[in-house]
Amino acid sequence: MRETLFIFGVNHRTAPVAVRERLAYGEGEIVAALARLKREAPAIHEVALISTCNRVEILGVTEAGERAQLQATGFLAGDRGVDAAAFGPSLYRHEARAAVRHLFRVGASLDSMVVGEPQILGQLKNAYAQAADAGTAGLVLHRAFHKAFSVAKRVRKATLIGHGSVSVSSAAVGLAAKIFDTLADKTVMLIGAGQMAELTARNLKRLGIQSLLITSRTFDNAVALARKLDGTAVPFDSFHPYLKLADIVIGSVAAAKPVIGPEEFEGVIRERRYRPVFMIDLGVPRNFDQRLNSMENVYLYDIDDLSAVVQESRGEREREAEKAETIVELEVESFLKWLDGLELVPAIKDIRSSVEQLRDLELERHRVWLAGLAPAERERIESLTRGLVNKLLHRILSGIREGRTGVPDGVYAAEIARRLLSADLATEGGVLLDDDGDEDDEL
Amino acid sequence: MNTYWLAPALACYALSAAGFAMERAGLRGRLARWASVLLGGGAALQTGDLILRGIQAGNVPVTNFAQSLIFLAWLTAIAGLVLIVRFRMPVIGVYVAPIVFVVLGVESATMRQARLVMPQSLRSAWLPVHVTFALLGYALFVLAAGVSLVYLVYEKRLKAKRPLLPTDERTPSLEKLDRINYRLLGWGFLMLSLAIVTGAIWADATWGHFWSWEPAESWSLIIWILYAGLLESRLTVGWRGRRAAALTIAVFTVLVGSFVGMSLLAPGKHGGNFG
Repeated sequence: MRETLFIFGVNHRTAPVAVRERLAYGEGEIVAALARLKREAPAIHEVALISTCNRVEILGVTEAGERAQLQATGFLAGDRGVDAAAFGPSLYRHEARAAVRHLFRVGASLDSMVVGEPQILGQLKNAYAQAADAGTAGLVLHRAFHKAFSVAKRVRKATLIGHGSVSVSSAAVGLAAKIFDTLADKTVMLIGAGQMAELTARNLKRLGIQSLLITSRTFDNAVALARKLDGTAVPFDSFHPYLKLADIVIGSVAAAKPVIGPEEFEGVIRERRYRPVFMIDLGVPRNFDQRLNSMENVYLYDIDDLSAVVQESRGEREREAEKAETIVELEVESFLKWLDGLELVPAIKDIRSSVEQLRDLELERHRVWLAGLAPAERERIESLTRGLVNKLLHRILSGIREGRTGVPDGVYAAEIARRLLSADLATEGGVLLDDDGDEDDEL
Repeated sequence: MNTYWLAPALACYALSAAGFAMERAGLRGRLARWASVLLGGGAALQTGDLILRGIQAGNVPVTNFAQSLIFLAWLTAIAGLVLIVRFRMPVIGVYVAPIVFVVLGVESATMRQARLVMPQSLRSAWLPVHVTFALLGYALFVLAAGVSLVYLVYEKRLKAKRPLLPTDERTPSLEKLDRINYRLLGWGFLMLSLAIVTGAIWADATWGHFWSWEPAESWSLIIWILYAGLLESRLTVGWRGRRAAALTIAVFTVLVGSFVGMSLLAPGKHGGNFG
């Protein structure tokens, strides 16, 4: 039976988080779990465990197919204390080509909840490092992981799969980066302490914003959020004087009418000496008067504008994902070719030694006669037989490697050659002996 | 006169311009990189040409309109490369490469019949200093206008809520474009000022008076005042961003008009060499 790669597990598409969280492994648990898995599932030669918030997968190499998967499923159920029936229906299994493709697609972030998100590659690298630590990664897994990493890199380089923003808050942050060179010296003002406003503020903080003003109808909410985000709370009925300080204004208050209009903002702009202002309106109804957008160096995006940006980059990513699939397909092909070559190795070894053995046998039989020859002549005979053997081997082996046998499967072809050649030794041995007798007489 | 270097330089600029344009048009790959390399190649060839002709003339070869154009093309190409490499804005290549190509192309058409004669009165140590300052100032103004153009395009896109274009992923932010524009204007203004001062000193040394209100002098003063006003409005009122970009382009238009107009129409001491 030949070694194949298999992968099985659950992901965000097949299993709800209630199932995934029960199967998931913590960062520190994986090495030990791999060791247990290796012990409890002897049919699996090499194995790695990929556990992220969106997927729990076992990637392995086996000769046993079905049996290996049963062992692994049993292990997972036992090890996590989850009834196999609970996650059984969510399990997917891929073997051979499909498994390689799956691994490459995961690495290239094609299987992610948000296509193109960059974290998965790091998580995959982690899974590989842990399998290497646990000593459960062998020749095939090493190669498979490295190939998955290089495929991911190639996809990122050749496509725009990781570009654009895929959430409203990241779209807002992306836009801020298009307006401002650095955020470190900018001030953000939150008008209203809504959840999305908070998330956006957090993202902006991560990019360097240090100064944060927060106002809310309920002053306590502003104070609480200010404490959380290390900002300054400003009373709602007197926030207008602070507007001139804000380079980014995020609105999320529930108000029937806009809280900032163009007339008052004219003065703010002049006071700011025309430094750009990015206004992010997350409120419905809208917090900022639409006319603000036509004012000099003011950029106003409401929730629909931001959603449109998100939609556009999602669409872009999907188009890019199609290109990525083609790249993955090509790489799967090249990996399988390597794997096939690897499977040929034992058969090729046998074929080579069979033929070499044949030559040794013949030389041994004529040892006495050879000993009587002059050294130069003996050398000649040596090289003649070696040449013959090498030419013969080359024909056979290159024929198998390059698929000129007419048999679609290289391993099968190699097996035929192996059997034929070793049978030569076994069955024709007797006949050869008979012939030998005659020849001996002549000699 | 050695013009062997200019034809290949011109070809480099043409290919570079095509490369930048194709990259803009959305044909992906590393076109911008190759286009930048070609721009650099053109500039390198021009350097060779300038050195050879400089040796022949025994001075900076800038004694007529055509030669000024060559020099200007060279300076613009180099300043453009600095923007592309140092400030990571390949998008400016879309503007710089065609301009350099046109400037050098116009030159190639007129250069053939222009004889390289250096009038005795112009043989002065002030010549290379005055002309280099003036042309360097112009090159910086060319780029300031280009950066302003890029600014206006991106600004408009941001206002129109269509900020995403795959090829724009690495474009500098508006703030950065504005700052680059300001710096280019500042340096360009300094160069122009130095050109006017050195020109006056040179005039005094040659003709005995600093200023004679000939057209080239008047126009450079007008342009100097316009740029001074542009910088002043930023420093005092805080005009920046869109308005500053639009004004930069407007003043630059006046500059181009006077440069071409002077060179073609008005005789004078500058001898059709408004440089």
